[in-house]
Amino acid sequence: MSKSMICSCEDVTADDVRHAVSRGYCDVESVKRYTGFGTGICQGKSCLSAVAALLEQEKALKPAAVVPFTPRPPLFPTELRLLATAPVDESQPPVGGLPQDVDTFASALRPEGPLPAKAKVVIIGGGVMGLALAYNLAREGETDVVVLERGYLCAGASGRNGGGVRMQWGTPALVELAKRSIDLMKTFARDLGINVWLRQGGYLFLARTDAVAKRLERNVTLHNRYGVPTRLVTPDAARDIVPGLTMKGCVAASFNPEDGVIFPWPFLWGYAQGCKKKGVRVETYTDVTGFEVSGGQIRKVKTDRGDIACDTVVLASGAWSPEVAKLVDVQLPNEPHRHEILSTEPLKPFLGPLVSVLDSGLYFSQSMRGEIVGGMGDPKEPAGLNMGSTLRFVSRFARALMEQMPHVGHVKVLRQWAGCYDVTPDNNPILGRTPGLDNLLQMSGFVGHGFMMAPAVAERMAKWMVTGESDELFTRFNLRRFSEGALEREDMIIG
Amino acid sequence: MRRLPDASLRGRAITVDLEGESIPAIEGEPVACSLVAAGEPMLARSVKYHRPRGPYCFAAACSHCLMRVDGLPNVYTCRTPAREGMKLERQNAFPSAKVDVFETIDWFFPKGLDHHEMFAGVPIAEQVMAKVARQLAGLGLLPKEPAPASPESRTLRTRVAVVGAGASGLAAARELTERGVPFLLFEREDHVGGRLAHGAPEQDAPAITDVATLAPDSLVTRATALGLYDDEAGRFLVVGVWEPTGVRLLKVYAERFLLTPGGHPPMVPFENNDLPGVYAGRAASLLLRRYNVAPEVAALVGWGEELYGLARLLEERGVKLAAVVDLKGPPPAGAHPLAVAGTEPKAHGMRHVSAFSFTPRDGSRRKVSCDAVLVSVPVSPSFELARQGGAKVTFDAGHGLFKVDADADGRTEAADIFAAGDLTGGGSAKDAAIAGRRVAQALVGGLS
Repeated sequence: MSKSMICSCEDVTADDVRHAVSRGYCDVESVKRYTGFGTGICQGKSCLSAVAALLEQEKALKPAAVVPFTPRPPLFPTELRLLATAPVDESQPPVGGLPQDVDTFASALRPEGPLPAKAKVVIIGGGVMGLALAYNLAREGETDVVVLERGYLCAGASGRNGGGVRMQWGTPALVELAKRSIDLMKTFARDLGINVWLRQGGYLFLARTDAVAKRLERNVTLHNRYGVPTRLVTPDAARDIVPGLTMKGCVAASFNPEDGVIFPWPFLWGYAQGCKKKGVRVETYTDVTGFEVSGGQIRKVKTDRGDIACDTVVLASGAWSPEVAKLVDVQLPNEPHRHEILSTEPLKPFLGPLVSVLDSGLYFSQSMRGEIVGGMGDPKEPAGLNMGSTLRFVSRFARALMEQMPHVGHVKVLRQWAGCYDVTPDNNPILGRTPGLDNLLQMSGFVGHGFMMAPAVAERMAKWMVTGESDELFTRFNLRRFSEGALEREDMIIG
Repeated sequence: MRRLPDASLRGRAITVDLEGESIPAIEGEPVACSLVAAGEPMLARSVKYHRPRGPYCFAAACSHCLMRVDGLPNVYTCRTPAREGMKLERQNAFPSAKVDVFETIDWFFPKGLDHHEMFAGVPIAEQVMAKVARQLAGLGLLPKEPAPASPESRTLRTRVAVVGAGASGLAAARELTERGVPFLLFEREDHVGGRLAHGAPEQDAPAITDVATLAPDSLVTRATALGLYDDEAGRFLVVGVWEPTGVRLLKVYAERFLLTPGGHPPMVPFENNDLPGVYAGRAASLLLRRYNVAPEVAALVGWGEELYGLARLLEERGVKLAAVVDLKGPPPAGAHPLAVAGTEPKAHGMRHVSAFSFTPRDGSRRKVSCDAVLVSVPVSPSFELARQGGAKVTFDAGHGLFKVDADADGRTEAADIFAAGDLTGGGSAKDAAIAGRRVAQALVGGLS
């Protein structure tokens, strides 16, 4: 059948690019994500210029707005075993990372039309939190909402995470939220008309020490109490669940077959389309530059496209939240921490669950497309907004992964990237009203697991905002807790 | 494609195993080249629509030639030297690439398959689709055996790291040699020269620098630059070098990085541009000049100087030309007599190119028989390393390409990164050589 291929690695046609444009995805980064062009084995070598030229010819973009998507190392598919040989000095913190300017956007991408002069609710941050909240507000009847996003949809952590969704948490509040979220993910396609490819292959947590094994044991009791079928498994049983797993250095494991992986990007597109259908404005490439405050209330949000007068402001900027809060003299305890991640060549299915070594933060799963997607936290990572990529990460990750799955040594890495966790002192989110600034609502501090919590958190927050009914979530996780000293720490953090 | 009858073989005649069948090959030449010369141009099925695929770029810049080689998935057969008895399997097909039942996907979805919205929210259908999609997704199978360890990595330090031994990289290396500045020159191929060695010959092209005139041990071939990174000791280039014991990783710290990697042969979107028998122009000149493999009758399509150079090269070597179609406008004076301005190119054929059609600017649609369609357009600058290092990359709307912003001395926005040749926007090989020399002079001036 006759087709005109523009990206032959992923079988993307020129018409697919036009279709993305018709859906409002015009910039190169968004077209890449929506069509999948440039995400295959060649990583855009043969297609990027052709797509860029098409976008320019069809007037989807001004020439100055045609910027290439960020090239991701390695430049050619590279075996994990080769990357594993790079020297790493674990005693030193990771330094640098390239490129350093992933977080800047060409001014030519900024939309030309005006922003609304006022809105009831302005949500700062067009990640999954902000968009899910806007959509749920609209469902509750509040459509006078504007979402402001400084980049493209998926530019922040919502577009950079590994897509894991799990109910295995250490506190009842998070177990319940995650459970509800996964239920909502199951009906997402029905509600919003876009597939999110939820695959419930389970999460297999591995413990290297007795202390961590004890934690898993305690959590199993908690999970079962909340109807989550987590069970402790022996090393042998873990090897049955994941053929080829060595369990080297591991003493115990826990498994919940109902956890899984999703494809993160369609959530943002789905929520954003759902918002637009209900009249909610989603404004990309729009940067918040300040606030106008009087009488203990924010009166206006200032942006590089003009001011918006508003009744309520929601801060849902993830790792950027402390920066934005500073503009209105609010000190948040959140700290951004870089977490690196990579994706390999796509292979036929061989891995059911997401596997994570809780002690080291190593995690890996197989995406719907067949790629191994995984990462590993670096205990020496300093705080800071940094999304550069390092050789140190791919090397550490490759070694840790090959220790657990030696068969993957030949598997080739296609790209690595980084995102920022939004880390709070107790690893729990910050939600609800800001002490001293009544109409600024907080929705941040999700420590790398906001994506999987968003559907449920947004549902409750929208209801709480629109009906005014009390909800303990917004007192439990209020900013006030850090000054009052009543902290309940979440210890199931990975990556 | 076939081996030219009068050409002498450049290596030992061997056989490779293609799914149980013995196929003649030449030891050491890219095995994809041996396969197309032996009449086996279909190497794979595509990932989504299961369209037949054959090699396109011969530059590891597409994915058409990926096969399972000796049990390892997704191996670029355009980069893999043929060895006696090597086992080749086509991927992503059931029961075989020649008769692939999933080819029906291509026919069921003539206007394309929207995986975002297909069956979205339709009960049962949605779940069935997810299960089927997972089985259909992915290319190739996990290797059966654990991988042996790679050779130990090495850390090197030099004043200047040069990436790419084409016209500009070689000229820069000559200059650095003459000035006694320590440098390392990394070349991905097993030969130097870039387009001078395997592009369509250009008028006024400089001779390929004799590598014996370069500083001893400065040139590393079969060395692929994998990324530019930094750490506590500064910026470094990561290079994967093919050695007899395997690929070795090099960490190369340098004070200056001179990037002259040239460009990738891009895809040009037109109907059936992915059919086996459609090749990048640069691939056709490489196959002809280095391996004496060429089509019998070729249709040429594209734009730019190289299109016409390729027409001359092919004709000189006895390849019949069925058409030369310039997609940008009227051919220049002195162009091949067949050359016309045209639009809407299309490749025809079920499993392989059998014809090519187009609409001449002044005339009705024409269709010609051929066994290859050669797509020759200016290469797409390989700006990735420069961009990682902080150089500015801008879109050149006139040429439809991204290029690295650099001044005449090759300086970019990143103080230690210099660029020359195709990277900065094309030009002839002669221009590239002049630029390479000049940039080397400029960057030496800034060294402490």
